Amino acid sequence: MEVLYELLFDYTLRTVAIGSALLGIVSGVLGSYVVLRRQSLLGDAMSHAALPGIAIAFLLSGSKNSVFLLIGAGLSGWFVTLLIFTVVKNSKIKFDSALAMGLSVFFGLGLVLLTIIQKMPDASQAGLDKFLFGQAAALTTEDIKIMGVMGGISIFLVFLFWKEFKISTFDPEFAASIGLKVKFLDIFITSLVVIAIVLGLQTVGVVLMSSMIVAPAVAARQWTDRLGLMMALSGFFGALAGVIGSLISSQISRMPTGPAIVVTISFIVLLSILFSPKHGIVVDLLKKRKNRDSMRLDAILEELFNLGEKHNDPCYPHSIKLLKIMYSNYTNFEKNLVKLKEKGLVAQIEGDKWALTDNGVIEVKKRGFE
Amino acid sequence: MDNVNETDTSDLALEITDLTVAYDNKPVLWDIDLNVPKGILLAIAGPNGAGKTTLIKAVQGLVSSAAGRVLVYGETYEKNRKLIGYVPQRGSVDWDFPTSVIDVVKMGSYGSLGWIKRPGTKEHNHARDCLEKVGMLEYEKRQISELSGGQQQRVFLARALIQDASVYLMDEPFQGVDATTEKAIISILKELRSRGKTVIAVHHDLQTIKEYFDWVTLLNVRLIDSGPVDRVFTTENLNKTYGGKINFIRDITPGQAVGS
Repeated sequence: MEVLYELLFDYTLRTVAIGSALLGIVSGVLGSYVVLRRQSLLGDAMSHAALPGIAIAFLLSGSKNSVFLLIGAGLSGWFVTLLIFTVVKNSKIKFDSALAMGLSVFFGLGLVLLTIIQKMPDASQAGLDKFLFGQAAALTTEDIKIMGVMGGISIFLVFLFWKEFKISTFDPEFAASIGLKVKFLDIFITSLVVIAIVLGLQTVGVVLMSSMIVAPAVAARQWTDRLGLMMALSGFFGALAGVIGSLISSQISRMPTGPAIVVTISFIVLLSILFSPKHGIVVDLLKKRKNRDSMRLDAILEELFNLGEKHNDPCYPHSIKLLKIMYSNYTNFEKNLVKLKEKGLVAQIEGDKWALTDNGVIEVKKRGFE
Repeated sequence: MDNVNETDTSDLALEITDLTVAYDNKPVLWDIDLNVPKGILLAIAGPNGAGKTTLIKAVQGLVSSAAGRVLVYGETYEKNRKLIGYVPQRGSVDWDFPTSVIDVVKMGSYGSLGWIKRPGTKEHNHARDCLEKVGMLEYEKRQISELSGGQQQRVFLARALIQDASVYLMDEPFQGVDATTEKAIISILKELRSRGKTVIAVHHDLQTIKEYFDWVTLLNVRLIDSGPVDRVFTTENLNKTYGGKINFIRDITPGQAVGS
């Protein structure tokens, strides 16, 4: 309760929560396209590559103004994406190798620059390392405004170019055949993803930001087969994880926000994979079990029917002793007989004899046995 | 090639001159000259790697050509793009994409809608009509991952029908479909022809070319021959195209059209 009270009335906490929610929505919506285009690892490379951009922006501007730093991050993330595509296109290096190299080279460069900056005598440089794992508490109202405007524009563009983005993701060749500029759309979507990543850097950090892009979309995909709903859900999951994660980190001292948010979203992914009604593992297992059980019941009905046929009476009563010997390999044979009795398909006669009822015969014929 | 003389150019649906396509300096299509008259069903046949798919793509500018010119109804492809309907190989997309059957069909209307505008009631009804034509109306709300191969192919066909094009380019429309679907597709192609449309399809099954198509283009990087099936679909031409590796049609006398 205290946390809720703080959320409403504590300025820092409120700022943090709004910022994290915004970042969750934007990365959730854009992340849907990243996941559907199978570019999850590209998101990882982009976010890691943002680090040298931040450092260089600081070195050039000498200010910690987040606008400069985030522009640097965006340009750097964008540059590495183009570089990866150029390398793949013009060399024999494959996409996964190019990604891994782009990621580690730029992240390494970023760490080197960060170390150099921290050794500089000026005191104002402290705090850049918050971009590694994120520090939501450092968000200012100014930052929130930037996030709101940039995120709002990005989501608006996704709505505006809904059908263009959709078809160039589903079937780029067909999209090109009807005259859409598919390469332009690719760059367009990639740029929006870069914006989403940049908006999350202060809160989640370069190391874990890609999971904010990928995880909400993966979770959302479990619950729906419709693109629009998937994006909405993904944004919702992202926001939820953002808020819960920031609250956790605000309650535990020295806990960086990034890991707290990522653990939260991972939990949501786990729940979705297990319990979603359409693709969930648990639902799937239950369905299979139910199926198996009803098949066992059907098999018993069919066998009783066939046995009865030999006496020219489908409702002929058979002794339980005989049945138990004949069907000793059936799992839960007696229990299933009782289940069938409860359904009125089988009757217990003279204590130890079992027979199909008229309804049972109808049921067998309905299923096309005989 | 003498097929150029077979028709008057004003009656051509497609006019391909000197088309050459190369990947990494290796020619995939070499100096193709091909004229396709309006209102026919044309099969493109040839061995694997002959450039059949590349030809279909190069006509639409989906792969860049090293040289050559393509005219659709007498104009460049860019100008007459809306006259072309395209059915790509169904394996070229991810059928797990979160969308429904009717949505995929509506994608065929995106070209005529232009940027930003969304399909409305008119497109929705049109899409349902096209689904009905391919016998898939009852599946309109299905998630596309639940479709069988034949159903996927029908959905792709419906998406091309909604384009209401004059020339249809189809990449292996019969690939991996059941007999019922094959019959359904061919009757739709014949219906298109009866409305004066031209259908150009990459086709693998040599046994059915005579039965399904009017014209055939034999391709193996170079154009071997193209024209009416009766004249072009001969053992001699097939040997040239496939390098004598097709002995399953050996009961045909040389020079005689296969299946006639």
